[in-house]
Amino acid sequence: MASQAWSSRINWAGLSVCALMLLVWEASVRLKFIAFEFFPAPSSILSGAVRLAREGILLEDLSHTLLSIAMGWTIAMVIGVSIGLLLGFSPVARKFGLASVEVLRPMPGIAFAPLGLLLFGFSLQTELVVTVLPAIWPVMINTMGGIANVHPRLTDVGRTLRLSPTEIVRHLLLPAALPSIVVGARISLGLALVMAIVAEIVGNPAGLGYGIVREQQAMNPDLMFAYIAVVGVLGIILNAGVLALTTALWPASSRVAA
Amino acid sequence: MSRRFSKFSFLAQSLSQLPSPLGLLPLIVILVGWQMLQTGNSPYFPPPSTWWAGVVQSATAGKLLPACTASLQTIVVGLLLAIGAGAVVGILIGISPRAARAVGPLLEFFRAMPPPAIVPLAILFLGYDERMKLTIVAVSAMWPILLNTASAVERIHPILLDVATAFHLSLSERIRLIVIPSVMPSILLGIRIALPLCIVLTLLVEMLTSIEGIGALMIAAQRNFQSGQVYGLLVLVGLFGFLINTVFSIVQAVILRRWPPRDIQV
Repeated sequence: MASQAWSSRINWAGLSVCALMLLVWEASVRLKFIAFEFFPAPSSILSGAVRLAREGILLEDLSHTLLSIAMGWTIAMVIGVSIGLLLGFSPVARKFGLASVEVLRPMPGIAFAPLGLLLFGFSLQTELVVTVLPAIWPVMINTMGGIANVHPRLTDVGRTLRLSPTEIVRHLLLPAALPSIVVGARISLGLALVMAIVAEIVGNPAGLGYGIVREQQAMNPDLMFAYIAVVGVLGIILNAGVLALTTALWPASSRVAA
Repeated sequence: MSRRFSKFSFLAQSLSQLPSPLGLLPLIVILVGWQMLQTGNSPYFPPPSTWWAGVVQSATAGKLLPACTASLQTIVVGLLLAIGAGAVVGILIGISPRAARAVGPLLEFFRAMPPPAIVPLAILFLGYDERMKLTIVAVSAMWPILLNTASAVERIHPILLDVATAFHLSLSERIRLIVIPSVMPSILLGIRIALPLCIVLTLLVEMLTSIEGIGALMIAAQRNFQSGQVYGLLVLVGLFGFLINTVFSIVQAVILRRWPPRDIQV
């Protein structure tokens, strides 16, 4: 009974479209409909991925990318949440700081790649510079907005119940702002993935991003496609996994507009 | 007359919503302090005065203006292509729930794929040229617009469609009176997400391939260890991003006044 409900939740139409596309792709390469030397068939991409995995390179690159995403995201969260809390709680900080944030925020993270290269060369530090800076903004803005948009009535309730200001912050304001902060953290994580790949393409010769460039320059299209597919799957897993996790832990966060 | 006045007052109103200019103080203090405390010419942390000198040097060499124009052109044209393709395909997918379900997983894959990953692919297939740069920007910026449009079309309230049937509206009237006003806010949201992506990808491609643009100038400055120029161009790119964002905010406000978000309560 339960398995029936489960099977009806699977999007069979969608999966068959994917399968059909892969089949057409495979067939048109095999039958030479696509007479293009750089266009590998899905089967050779798969065997390329298996080869990379057997040699252990894929795991090494994957763990490098995951590690730098984790490091970059953690640093960005610490900076973003603390500045966001400051801006959210203190109107003075908002008055004397918000415009600076608004000026710095549209700065594209990739623009810091040459600066990182200048300061640190081709290294993990450069990758972190490019990953951390853009990932700070979503969590900072959402933390600030989450705190500043708590309904004033909630503070009044706290006062009526004779809670001290620290208790109001701990038991009323922070829990009320949490869903918005969680959404900011999720957006930051997505950005950290994108920027880590960017940094590995231009700034740090390691990880999945460098794998794509390396195989492109070595004219190994099957291995290049294998890396791209791994990056895509990683994106899906991070997106869906984090969304499911946060919705399970903080159901209210799914109602916050991103 | 009154209409013109209302347009003006609405711009003034959106200006008044900007944060206080006093908020620029921390930035100014940091920059002035940096300039004052600087002793000697550090190759890594040059004082802000040399940033300006670096940018001027690049401008007088006649490189800056063509690079800015090239980058801006790629961003704008790429975005326009993405809006056109994303909106049309999004509406088509959104109209049919079956089509939406059938291509759903495929779209999810492309949405989750970090756009920079396709840059080496495009270089391999299209070679080092302007067309490749434009393709990358347009294709990557298309997804957020497409997905937002499709979900907006799916969310059009059935009553609106019943109204269209009751009034015997033609297809073009349906699109003009019902579909476009309903999806406009979502298309704008998609563009808002796509905009920073366009800038990042343009700069990335320019840095990677040295095709003319600001990104290529930045990486050249870094390779020649012209640190003042690296910082100066960084500020310039920041202004660039700020400018594009501001222009879009104004355009968005004007469009949202024409087609305000619909919220039907039943």
